[in-house]
Amino acid sequence: MQSRIMPYLLTLPSLLLAAVVIFWPVWDLIQISTHDVNRFGQLREFSGLANFTELFADPDFVAALWRTGLWTVLVVGGALLLSIPVAMILNMDFYGRGLARVIIMLPWAVSLTMTAVVWRWALNGESGMLNSALMKLGLISQNIQWLASAETAFPMQVLIGILVTVPFTTTIFLGGLSSIPDDLYEAAALEGATPFQQFREITFPLLKPFINIAIVLNTIYVFNSFPIIWVMTQGGPANSTDILVTHLYKLAFRIGKLGEASAVSLVMFAILLVFTMIYVRLAMREQRA
Amino acid sequence: MSLAKWTVGLLAGMSMLALAAPADAGEVRVTVAEYSAKTGPYFEEVKKEFEAANPGITIKYEVVPWDVLLQKLTTDITAGTNADLSIIGTRWLIDFVQQDVAEPLDSYIKPEFKDRFIDTFLSPSIMDGHTYGLPIAASARAMYYNKELFEKAGIAKPPATWTELQEDARKIKAIGAFGFGLQGKEIETDVYYYYAMWSQGTEILNKDGTSGLSTPGALEAAKLYKSMVDEGLTEPGVTSNNREDVQNLFKQGKVGMMITAPFLSNQIKEEAPNLKYGVAAIPAGPTGARGTYGVTDSIIMFKNSKNKDEAWKLLDFLFTKEQRAKFTQGEGFLPVNKEEAKMDYYVNNADLAAFTALLPDARFAPVIPGWEEIAQITSDAMQKIYLGSAKPEDALKEAADKANAVLKKK
Repeated sequence: MQSRIMPYLLTLPSLLLAAVVIFWPVWDLIQISTHDVNRFGQLREFSGLANFTELFADPDFVAALWRTGLWTVLVVGGALLLSIPVAMILNMDFYGRGLARVIIMLPWAVSLTMTAVVWRWALNGESGMLNSALMKLGLISQNIQWLASAETAFPMQVLIGILVTVPFTTTIFLGGLSSIPDDLYEAAALEGATPFQQFREITFPLLKPFINIAIVLNTIYVFNSFPIIWVMTQGGPANSTDILVTHLYKLAFRIGKLGEASAVSLVMFAILLVFTMIYVRLAMREQRA
Repeated sequence: MSLAKWTVGLLAGMSMLALAAPADAGEVRVTVAEYSAKTGPYFEEVKKEFEAANPGITIKYEVVPWDVLLQKLTTDITAGTNADLSIIGTRWLIDFVQQDVAEPLDSYIKPEFKDRFIDTFLSPSIMDGHTYGLPIAASARAMYYNKELFEKAGIAKPPATWTELQEDARKIKAIGAFGFGLQGKEIETDVYYYYAMWSQGTEILNKDGTSGLSTPGALEAAKLYKSMVDEGLTEPGVTSNNREDVQNLFKQGKVGMMITAPFLSNQIKEEAPNLKYGVAAIPAGPTGARGTYGVTDSIIMFKNSKNKDEAWKLLDFLFTKEQRAKFTQGEGFLPVNKEEAKMDYYVNNADLAAFTALLPDARFAPVIPGWEEIAQITSDAMQKIYLGSAKPEDALKEAADKANAVLKKK
């Protein structure tokens, strides 16, 4: 009997902690989003799902929703594709590996906001470093106004997103690679496997659980990532680079629609929750099979 | 427990209370907006002087950058942890008054105190006959022009009308600089458009309280800017330049004309002392109408403040002539104090004279709830027009509809 209660008792402290830092704010959000609230968050009458219907009737929100999906897929996907080869190279034994690892990890050590600020300067149309570099290389004949429209601003934001996501992803993969025993490769080489075959048959399958972790964690981070887009364009011009968090911030703190902002927040929470549950289930089923 | 121990404990407890009590009773917390690097040091100076003159009162500041001020106040008020006094944008005041968080100051204001102010700047903080805030900062906008570029392009004097401005911009473009600096990003993107709109005789709100964006004047103004963008009379990439970006271009001598606030003079003095520039009126429209944007920031007292009398003492101190002069001159604002305005610093300053001359044409942000949302809607519409992703007619119509929906809600 006691042994059946025991696990619950043991998880109780962390459950309580989770309740305070997660459930309580979520409950608060539900309260705000189902009420008419003033701009200082004081609740007025119950309004049901009015805030949600208003949200989905707003084309800016719907556009931001799709763009968030695109942003997450591109940044997470790009970071994964880039990190696997980077991690494999850094896992090899070569002179100066320590230095190379530090260089790859450096963007991680700089605050995201600072990185974004520096890029904002670098992408400045008239006095930015990027334009002057491209000009000197003879690649462009007149300045490109990078942040003036979404066509150039959003791809740059995605690239910067990838750049800052690579260090973390590489770290995960490096951990994974070091857990693969060397003798597998030796045996494969003896049997005459090419490096590509070794990658496909040994490295990739054994790295899979780590890739899964990287996908889940990165998706959560990137989906919620605020500084890059906010600092560079504030979601503009005309909301054309808005993702859900920047849209939420404007709704809440510029315009003062705390009810709708809370609704956005809950929508984001639900999307991430569903994604994580489905993904973890799929990944685990695959591992068991 | 022996009696001695008891007494010691009690004494210790009492002395702790005694230490804690005055810190609580006489503490005035102030949320200060950081206008520039000089804001913090100025207020520290105030603290020193004020506390020396008023023993028992301590001042505690929270210095917050402008960008996050409204966010901080929103969260503070929601949580009930707001300070006693705060600087706010006067355009937010109506929300604070309607939600009953701002304390009316009428009971503290003596006629002598009220008489210190220039009416134009005090009146935006008065609502329904009650004074809810005091203008801590006041500013207006005028046109800066680069004298060197003007000379090189053969332009004798700053343009008096928008048509002249267009011609001058063409001449400046011909010598390889940007004619007119047009702001197209972030805060006050909408205001930059109003300058042209006001000169067409159109106001932000029509007389019947609907949005002015659907009037012919508004369309004329939008078309004017759009044609200048298309003709290359502005800097390239308008929608990537916020006010500071355009100011930087002006300081670098790359822009012929731009409209901005008096603080640019201070920045030029420090960062580009060799730049030859002048300040002129904002150009007028075909009928001679013109408008500049007047802004005040107010310092308000919160209704839930527990130290209102102490807080008022600080306000009284802040609005003396000497304190005002120190602050205003450091930040590059306009004087709000009558006596202060008579000081040599202001009287002999040609730049500031151009700004004060425009004050009769100043429009302040309309006092309506939801103003920030309407500003955002207008800025978005302008960005679409500048980018060419929507026709001026369509963008303005859409914006007017949205703005009217906001206006109707209240």
